[in-house]
Amino acid sequence: MSPDPDPPTPMDRIFGIDLGTTNSLIGYMDDDGPRVVRDPDSGSALLPSVVSFLDAERWVVGADARRRAAAHPLQTLASVKRFMGVGHEHVSDEDRLHYAFAPQGNPVRFRVHGRDWSPVEVSALILEALKERVRKATGDQVRRAVITVPAYFNDSQRQATRDAGRLAGLEVLRLLNEPTAASLAYGLERREEATIAVYDFGGGTFDLSLLKLRQGIFEVIATSGDTRLGGDDLDQRLARLLLEQLPEPLRDLPEVRRQALEEAERAKVRLTEQDQTVMELRAAQHGVALRRPLSRTELEALVLDIVDRTFAPCRRALEDAGLRPEQIDEVVLVGGSTRVPLVRRRVQEFFGRAPHTELNPDEVVAMGAAVQAGVLSGRRVDTLLLDVVPLSLGIESVGGVFERIIDRNTTIPAISRQIFTTFVDNQTAVDFHVLQGERELVADNRSLARFKLRGLEPQPAGMPRLEVTFMVDANGILNVTARDLKSGHEQSVDVKPSYGLTDDEVERMLESSFDHAEEDVAARLLIEARKEAESILRVTRKALEQATADERTAIEPAIATLEARLGDTDHNRIRDAVEALNQASLGLAQRLMDTSIAAALQSKRVEEV
Amino acid sequence: MATAAVCPECGHQQPPALVCAACGVVQEPPPSLDLFAAVGLPRRLQVDAAELERRFYELSRQVHPDRFGTAPAPAQAASLAATALLNRAYKVLRDPVQRGRYWLELHGEALADESRSVPREIAATVFEVQERLAELREAGAEQHELLRPALQDDLRRLDERRAACSQRLDELFQTAAPPPDRLKALLAEIAYLTTLARNVQAGLDVERHES
Repeated sequence: MSPDPDPPTPMDRIFGIDLGTTNSLIGYMDDDGPRVVRDPDSGSALLPSVVSFLDAERWVVGADARRRAAAHPLQTLASVKRFMGVGHEHVSDEDRLHYAFAPQGNPVRFRVHGRDWSPVEVSALILEALKERVRKATGDQVRRAVITVPAYFNDSQRQATRDAGRLAGLEVLRLLNEPTAASLAYGLERREEATIAVYDFGGGTFDLSLLKLRQGIFEVIATSGDTRLGGDDLDQRLARLLLEQLPEPLRDLPEVRRQALEEAERAKVRLTEQDQTVMELRAAQHGVALRRPLSRTELEALVLDIVDRTFAPCRRALEDAGLRPEQIDEVVLVGGSTRVPLVRRRVQEFFGRAPHTELNPDEVVAMGAAVQAGVLSGRRVDTLLLDVVPLSLGIESVGGVFERIIDRNTTIPAISRQIFTTFVDNQTAVDFHVLQGERELVADNRSLARFKLRGLEPQPAGMPRLEVTFMVDANGILNVTARDLKSGHEQSVDVKPSYGLTDDEVERMLESSFDHAEEDVAARLLIEARKEAESILRVTRKALEQATADERTAIEPAIATLEARLGDTDHNRIRDAVEALNQASLGLAQRLMDTSIAAALQSKRVEEV
Repeated sequence: MATAAVCPECGHQQPPALVCAACGVVQEPPPSLDLFAAVGLPRRLQVDAAELERRFYELSRQVHPDRFGTAPAPAQAASLAATALLNRAYKVLRDPVQRGRYWLELHGEALADESRSVPREIAATVFEVQERLAELREAGAEQHELLRPALQDDLRRLDERRAACSQRLDELFQTAAPPPDRLKALLAEIAYLTTLARNVQAGLDVERHES
């Protein structure tokens, strides 16, 4: 082997991170191309984007957190990405059932064990866990990274993502749009020329991007999407099938809802391979046990309208680009929801061609982020991405009218200036309101920030010439400056983000340490697993009195296994045995639930809650 | 021709440009650098679209911030400013209407609020269409179906007229010295037709969503 003349040291390596709604991944470029880092223990590339808090000081991230979700629904935060850079007014009633929000203040914060956590902080915990995975797997220290965001993320959401990176001790070299990343992963640059559509249907968001490829340059020509449309919506539809079979009080229990959602998701996944499945809902502590058969045909009829909602943004993007669906040469699928056969079929029908499915849709964004990390570090010079602003940016002007300064789909970086003036005589300060959106009226667009330009010379109304400069950098992040052209000197502008954290807040959070003892957490998880095991053993032993001989034969070995593992120190082994016992006793539990005994048990349990 | 600029890196003198021809270093664009010069094209109304695209991609490869991912801050800042100007040049110059307006601006012939006064040639059409739009807004749901075809017809006529104007604009671009007044009149008409067509489209869309 010949020595590499300039071997990249681990310190130099730039990582690509997919900070996803459901799962997060981290990857890098090596000589063979992009690769994602797998967990050394489980071998999985996916880190569930879930954080579960044991108390105010301790938490777990990833698979362990996800396992705690059913038993500790309000202490476990999943799909936090949906709340990045948003205010209370964007939180739905459905969301309020699944999360405990701090009552007031923007940005939205979650209240867990009496402590408030912003989505940015929770995301930083996920990023820390990814860094830790790399350290365990390769020994590398992750310092610099490219982080992906949905193309349709607005400025607040992008800033929030960058803040999460900073908070996790990362130098975020670039925010990269997920669909663009995906097109990089497919190596389509080998084609001389093509028009590409990237259909990105993730857990919580939908994006459609159209790109023109010319000799290695990927130019985004239009992008559109819906930040509140994703696979989660399919799950909620399916979960409703289970929940509507339960009486009112049970149906609203957070644990039951969470479990119904998880089972709905699993059933959806099973139905990508099978034509038939049975959804099972089991919450022993509430006497809930349900089976609901579901066919793929029924699933498809149930969610067709959600899937078809993705085509409104598709049409908008095509219109912006001046293209017809049949002019698209390549269709790339991204996001777990594109595994659903109905989605693939509808996409194929819409574009009139079979989409690319060669790469794992869960990993394709992280691989693209790794490619972009390679571009930024100078390892890849043949490839270049030219991305765009997803939503128009502007300023509030007279009468609440939105004055656009940078149009959507403008290639970034972009700089644009506009002259404003005063409405009142002798005004010495002017308020500016920065917004993002496509609607004519300010009230219909997303507020990004407000700032005041001070120190103007008193003059008659309409005389001052105030130049406002909008600069969108290559991350799609906006910077605003204002200048009084009369006095000639630039005014410092104090921009207060409407839904973000101020720099001071980020600094403060950076100072407060995130360290926590791992053994401590493991001990706590062990205690919880044992408690849960004891609870299910108690309930099952009691139910066993009414079991048939066949049911006994199925259940008793599972009880024995679990009893034997109660003394184990690995909480995962106990959890596995709990899961096995749950499976084994499901038939019995359901039969009991259908009887009056179960009904009595139920009402008693509800009182206890 | 604009005055020469000096490359801060190597001292090379050249007309203002995004990249130093001698050492290849990206330049902080001087204020005297116009959009034609930014992409290295002569200041002429007629632009070869393929040539413009080729130059845009070639310059993007040299100046884009991704090429300076780990460079020192001053080089990143120059890259950002140069790329923003390049992107604007590409956007303005590839669209004949925007290019025409920019060209007038360069020649001190700014168009003021031309989209708000109705060009005489299309006054009759405009009033007719506006009236139908107002009618649509006030009409009940059952009358919408009756009004739709006429508005769709209007949209078609506006688009045809705009295409004809674009054709005339192209012809004007090819003349040696386009008279600014004719250029202004034509651009004003196109701007007006565009706004009107957008309003009709929006009217038809609203009606579709509500039904």
